[in-house]
Formats: sequence, structure tokens, C-alpha cells
Amino acid sequence: MSLARRFPTRRSSRLPELLVPALLGALVLVYFAIPFVAFLARTGAVDVVGELSTPEARVAIRNSLLTAPISTAISTVLGVPLAYVLARRSFVGKRLVEALVILPLIVPPVVGGAMLLTAVGRFTPIGAAAAAVGIPLTDSLLGVILAQTFVAAPFVIITARAGFGAVDERLEQASRSLGYGPLSTFWNVSLPLARGAIVAGIVLTFARAIGEFGATMMVAYNPRTMPTRIWVEFIAGGIDAIVPLALALLAITLVVLAAVQRFGRVPTVIDR
Amino acid sequence: MILELEALTHRYGDELAVDDVSFGLEEGELVALLGPSGCGKTTIVQAIAGHVRPTAGRVRLRDRDVTDQPPEARRVGLVFQESTLYPHMTVRENVAYGLASRDTDAQERAELVTEYLELVDLRDQRDAYPAELSGGQQRRVELARALAPQPDVLLLDEPLSALDRALRERLREEIARIQDETGVTTLFVTHDQAEAMALADRLIVMDDGRISGDGTPRTLYESPPTPFVASFLGRSNALPATVVAREPPTVTLGGREITLRSSARSPPVGASVTCHVRPEDLSLTPSTDAGADGTAPSIPGEVAAVTDVGRRYDVTVRTETGDELVAEVTDDPPTAGDRVAVELPRDRIAVFDPAEYEREHLAAANETRG
Repeated sequence: MSLARRFPTRRSSRLPELLVPALLGALVLVYFAIPFVAFLARTGAVDVVGELSTPEARVAIRNSLLTAPISTAISTVLGVPLAYVLARRSFVGKRLVEALVILPLIVPPVVGGAMLLTAVGRFTPIGAAAAAVGIPLTDSLLGVILAQTFVAAPFVIITARAGFGAVDERLEQASRSLGYGPLSTFWNVSLPLARGAIVAGIVLTFARAIGEFGATMMVAYNPRTMPTRIWVEFIAGGIDAIVPLALALLAITLVVLAAVQRFGRVPTVIDR
Repeated sequence: MILELEALTHRYGDELAVDDVSFGLEEGELVALLGPSGCGKTTIVQAIAGHVRPTAGRVRLRDRDVTDQPPEARRVGLVFQESTLYPHMTVRENVAYGLASRDTDAQERAELVTEYLELVDLRDQRDAYPAELSGGQQRRVELARALAPQPDVLLLDEPLSALDRALRERLREEIARIQDETGVTTLFVTHDQAEAMALADRLIVMDDGRISGDGTPRTLYESPPTPFVASFLGRSNALPATVVAREPPTVTLGGREITLRSSARSPPVGASVTCHVRPEDLSLTPSTDAGADGTAPSIPGEVAAVTDVGRRYDVTVRTETGDELVAEVTDDPPTAGDRVAVELPRDRIAVFDPAEYEREHLAAANETRG
């Protein structure tokens, strides 16, 4: 008796291989889309331009546009070198460093804000010293930046680290042997080759920073940023009151995303 | 001496990768560093280039000790097995990259780039990106990029191993031509003994972190200094034998006494030794002649198997003492079960004493345990 007859192949109904994952994915997409569409449907009833030109709204927009780019810049300038070290070297305590990088992601932002307060709050040694020389670390734009950086920096670190990890170390060795020191090699080879991932990380960090609410509320409820202003208006006037600022926040993030993609020449946000 | 390694030793943690290796390269020499994968070749390359800091020993380039110098302070050209061309630079920019770091002026740089692209016959591809080139063209750009800054020594680490056979042979000739034209001192690292023998003026054979042989391909092939070289360069039969006399050196082998050429190394009488002889050096005669006092010594046996490998037959003969050896026969092979006599040319028998074996087997055992 042939093996083929003893073990008949299961009659295949030839369903497309990706049917099940596509259906499950579609559910998620619908779940993303419905609130978005429902929210946008409210915009017709509201005077968006008029609401955005009130002094409170303009201050909030200005504060957000001032703080989020600075937080993103700080996260990038300090985070990308760290990402490079993590991608290239193993050392004693590396696990601990990696855990530290993830920590702000797993701690709820509002708790992160509370932690920041215990470190730099007005009645701590650092906070008191800074306030004494006229640089208050809480309830100031600096406080907003501290909160945003704490919460948003891990995105650029983690994404850039993956980008550097994907660059073959031998490309850097070749550069060294062609006469370049470690810094010029980083600048000429590692950075350009990991650019896509770094840009993606910067976009994620910026989006997270400008939308930051929980930690900001704890560290610097004043001066108001767009998210804290949205909260204040929601308490006072419900959903319709926040539509203008919410739309503005969305628009700013989309413009930044589009601009970075265009000038960074990355096809999608996360492509590697 | 362009390049000199002195007692180079390197450990990765507890693992000894390179064990007391010393050799030198003369100006213009093309030397192949040959050995199986994992024998420490790449660690040596990395130590010469400065990407690995050796645990002990010195590296000298043009009589200057560079052991403590970073890679950018050494004039070493480096080509790896995998392409390391920069995907974000054109062919021209890739070749110019190593020149830009060394204060050459723009005019001179452009001339050198053209010169080296012509050397590898890729002038027309100067504005292409590496991804647009074929595998062979990428290799050639890589050679041009490594050579353009005129390094003291060119290190090629398995440069052809990722290519298919036909391309590999073509590029091997290309490397020989380029080396000849530029006269650059070259260390060619490979695990492929045919490649090494075809290309190199001199072979350095590595086994388990140590040098097992150093000499011209012909010398190492015909009189291997170690059992490892005998079996790694081409095929070899290893047969146990016992020394019965020293003047002239005589051993018992396969049940017969065989007198070796007088220059052969000879351990004391009674010592167990191993004789190596290459399959192509053996010839078979019908067994009726056995015992006749021919010029070459012979041992009788029975044909155990005949394998047709196309250009020749591999005949496996079992001797009366139960040892097996393989002889190459070009035509008219015997059939299994035939009684034959195997003739061994006296001057093609290499004798190794057991101490050499013990060391090699000990090393192999350590490797499998590690």
C-alpha cells in the first residue's frame, strides 16, 4: 500500500494564506477608524478658526511649538549616541542600562511625572537650587521640556539602536582602515546608513512629546501646552470645546511627519 | 620586511584563537594564509588591521611597531568576504573615500580614482551605486578602494568565497594580475587550498591557531612538514608503520619492510610512526609480481572498492595488515576482490613521529570539547 493512500493529504479548500490575519487586522483598523471619523464629524458644528484665535489657545499652541521641538532635539542629541553604544558594545551592566531606557515607556506618564517631581520638585535640593537662581524646574516651560523628554526620548533611542544594529560593523572597520577615526566614521558611515531609522525615531519622539499630557500635568500644569489646555477646556465645556485644539495638534503632527518624510527621504515611518 | 608578526597570541575569553604565530611578508610578496574555518585566520587579519588588539605579541609594518596604533594610523588595505562598499556613495565616491582622509588635493584624488578604476576595468561604472553592480564588479570596486590609498599591505579575507565557481576563478586571475601590476604586498586569506596554491608565491598553513607549515606551494605539497599539511593540501593516505632500522631508514609497512630514502627523518628503532603517501603517487600492479625485487617497494593487498570519479578511478586497497589506502588509476582499473601490489615511490613517503600526531589530536579534542 502506498504511503500516499494511507495518509491522504487533507483536501485543501485553497483559502488565501493571509485571509485570517487580514480579517483580524481589519477589525483593529475599523476600531482605529471609527472614533477618528466620529470625532471629525463634530467639527462642522464648531468655529475652529475662531476658537484657535483666543489668547488662551494661542499661548498653548505657542508653548507646545516651543517645547516639543526642544525636547525632541535633546532626546536626539543625547539619545542617538547612546543608541550607537548600545548597538555596538556589550559591557557589564548593559541589561540595566537597557532596562533604564525602557523604564519611561512602561511607567504610566502620570507616575513618571510624579517621579520627576520627587527628583526636581520645588522642595527637593535640585529644584530648590534651580529656583533660587531663577530657573524654576516645575510649572515652567523648562518643566514641560523635562516632562516631555522623560516620556518621549526612549522612542528615538530604541529606534536608532535598531538602525545602527542593522549596519554591518565591517563597513565601519573598512572606514577606519581607509584612514578615518571613530568620530568621522560615525559621521560618514554609521549615521547616514542608519538615517531612516533615526528619522523614524525622531518623528515618533516628536509626536509623543507634543502630545504629552500625564507627566506634564504633574510637573508643569502651568504654563499650558496644547494637551493641558485641551484637558482644561474639556472639563469646562465638553467634547465640542476641545475640537479646535485637538485638530490643531493633529495637524501639527501630520505636517511634521510629512516634512520629515520628505526631507529625510524615508518611504514610511517604520520601514526597517 | 613589510609586515612582521611576532609571537602573536589572541584569546576570546578563555578560547585561544591564535597561538604564538610569527611570520613576515617581504615587499611585493603574495602570501596565502590557508586553513580550515575557525583556525584563527580572520583574527590574524583583524590584528594586522588593528580591529582586534592581540592578547600578546607585536605587529610591525615597515619595521614600525603598530600594535598599539588604531586602524586609521596603519596603512592597511582591507577586503572582506562580504561587500563593505558604502551603499550611499557612488563607485567614484567609494574609491575616493580612502584618499579624502589623507590630505590629497582634489585634482590628484580625481586622477588616482580614475587610475584605480581603470586598473579594475570599471571606468564606465564610476557614477553607478554599488547596488547597481554585479557581484564581481562590486569585488573589483572594493579592490580599487582598498588599493587607491596605496597601502603598505593588502589584506584579502576570503574575498572570493561568497562567489560562484566560474566567477571565483576569473577574479582569482584578476587579483593575480592586479597584484602583479601594482606590486602591493598581499596577504590572501582562504580556506580553499586550490585557490591558495594557484595564486600564492608562498603558503602559510594554519591549524587550530598555530602555523602548521610555511613554504612555497610545491615544497609544502611534496614534502609536508606536518601531518596536517599532508592531509590539508591535497589527499593523503596515512598508514601506521614501525621503525626497524635507521641506517638506512627502514620501516615495516603493511606487512613489508620498506627502505626509505636516506634523507627521511627517522625516529629511534622500534618507534611507531605514521607514513603519508599521496594517492596519485601510488601505482598498482597485478599481484603475481609481488615479491619481485623491483625498484619501488610494494605491499600486497586486495582491492576493496573502485570508485569512478570521471577523470580517474579511486581504487581502495586493503593490505594484509588490514590498513586501507587509496590509489589513483587513470585507466584499466582492477575490480573489487582482485589481488594487487601497491607500489610506493621511496621519495614520496613522508614519515611523522607519533608526538606530532598526539599534539594535533589533542588540539582537535580540545576544540570539540570547547
